[in-house]
Amino acid sequence: MAAFPITGRFVGDFVPHLVAVDSEDTLDEVAAKVAVHSIGRRVARPADEAGYDVLLDGRVLDPTATFGQVIAEHQILPLQWFDVRIREPKLPAAEPGAVRV
Amino acid sequence: MPLNRDDWYDTSRDLEWTLSYVDPEVAFPTRWSGAQGIPAEAWQAWDEPFRVSYRDYVRIQREKEAGVKAVSNALLRSATYEKLDPAHVAASQLHMGTTCLVEHMAVTMQSRFCRFAPTPRWRNLGVFGMLDETRHTQLDMRFAHNLLRHDQRFDWTQKAFHTNEWGVLAVKNFFDDVMLNADCVEAALATSLTVEHGFTNIQFVALAADAMAAGDINWSNLLFSIQTDEARHAQQGFPTLAVLMEHDPERAQKALDVAFWRSTRLFQNLTGPAMDYYTPLDQRKMSFKEFMLEWIVNHHERVLEDYGLKKPWYWDDFLHSLENGHHAMHIGTWFWRPTLFWRPNAGVSKDERAWLNEKYPTWEENWGVLWDEIIRNVNDGSMEQTLPETLPSLCNLTQLPLGSAASRHDLAPHQLVYRGRLYHFDHAVSKWCFEQDPERYAGHQNIVDRFIDGQILPPDLTGGLAYMGITPEVMGEDVYDYAWAKDYAGTESD
Repeated sequence: MAAFPITGRFVGDFVPHLVAVDSEDTLDEVAAKVAVHSIGRRVARPADEAGYDVLLDGRVLDPTATFGQVIAEHQILPLQWFDVRIREPKLPAAEPGAVRV
Repeated sequence: MPLNRDDWYDTSRDLEWTLSYVDPEVAFPTRWSGAQGIPAEAWQAWDEPFRVSYRDYVRIQREKEAGVKAVSNALLRSATYEKLDPAHVAASQLHMGTTCLVEHMAVTMQSRFCRFAPTPRWRNLGVFGMLDETRHTQLDMRFAHNLLRHDQRFDWTQKAFHTNEWGVLAVKNFFDDVMLNADCVEAALATSLTVEHGFTNIQFVALAADAMAAGDINWSNLLFSIQTDEARHAQQGFPTLAVLMEHDPERAQKALDVAFWRSTRLFQNLTGPAMDYYTPLDQRKMSFKEFMLEWIVNHHERVLEDYGLKKPWYWDDFLHSLENGHHAMHIGTWFWRPTLFWRPNAGVSKDERAWLNEKYPTWEENWGVLWDEIIRNVNDGSMEQTLPETLPSLCNLTQLPLGSAASRHDLAPHQLVYRGRLYHFDHAVSKWCFEQDPERYAGHQNIVDRFIDGQILPPDLTGGLAYMGITPEVMGEDVYDYAWAKDYAGTESD
């Protein structure tokens, strides 16, 4: 276990926050640690419980991965900027032959 | 028959030694004079329009002092203070805490002009500037001391710069840079020309007008009196710019571009919330943006045009920031209100909100929706949700929150790695300023850096407040005790 400071921005809020995460946190847990400073404070709570995604440089990270794995795979310095946003609902599987627009 | 002033003024003001026992570079090191690359004879063109002798100066200043003190003494005997709107009082506490010791720092800057400026004309004018700034410090102290019996927050007039309160650290960082760390030439461009001749108009003229409208004659009178000095000693900037344009115009352009952006960001913090949120609605003269456009933008554009400079490359970003930056600073300072030494006014009652929307057409979409959530929590009694649990991320140049230079829709990372450390910036322009002279800024630690460096213990809000010197009797709380939120009770904010 190791605490690590990040810059966490919840998309829709006006300011990112200093957030302490742990190397053993999953990215779902990281998302929750970032969201708590914005959701229900300045950003309205979403209607459904789809959860939140964590993004690094615009790419959505695997929510089941641990933060330690992210550090190992990317060059992460203290105060690295991560975006967190409301997870987009998954679309139902398309019927064979259906055209999705 | 005594000589007229004009018979002896130039001889007196221009008195210069011909150095023979010491190298001129030793007596006037370029790292302090800022005269590198400019031939010594070029400074003979440096001139100022005020042509004040010491005798004139003392006579005029004595009259000013008598005027300020007469008003102050008369008002002390009346009950004027008790009648002031508490949100206006908060604006005066914010101003005093963040400005008084800047005046004192300016004494040091002016004394540098006295000693190291590259022409005796400038050195002599610096003497008056030094005395001006001493006077301003003492005026502020006297004003605040008289009000201590009403509110201990006025103690922060003297105390603020001896604490680590984070807003004060941002102010101190800027003036350390442009007053204490700058050579004479740069200080004249950044402080005399940009801050004093440009931005103090908004701090001393606009706030003085609002103060008069609010019935605070004492403070208004003090601000106007200070501004008369600023208008004179700020003149040191123009002849300096003229010399630089002749010999090093690129340096002039860069120095002004950096100073103008940094000043804008600072005054969005110092003045914007006071003008658009703290001043009672019926007493507002102009919006912060209107005042900036009329006084600051026109002034700066005129300076640029007169001296053949280009508009800063970031001009469109600057205008966009005028729509948003101080709204960000305001909601931020209000939300982190326990860390303030004044009591902020939310300033978003329905009537105030209508005024904000009229003055700033994008206000509702950019800022109103954030306030809606706060209003909902206030009216639901969920006060813990209206308070912070961590620090906002801060800029490594301005030390202001990331996101506070524009709207939430513009928020994006502006970062770079320098010597292995990751730096964040509140705007691409702030990052550009850093890149012009990274060694100058790289060593600074903002409050977030200090937090993760282990300097703030315990590492929580309690430790942060103790580190900032915030005590229970001054800790910021909503100045109207949330009465404004009742406008929305039971109706949802609309």
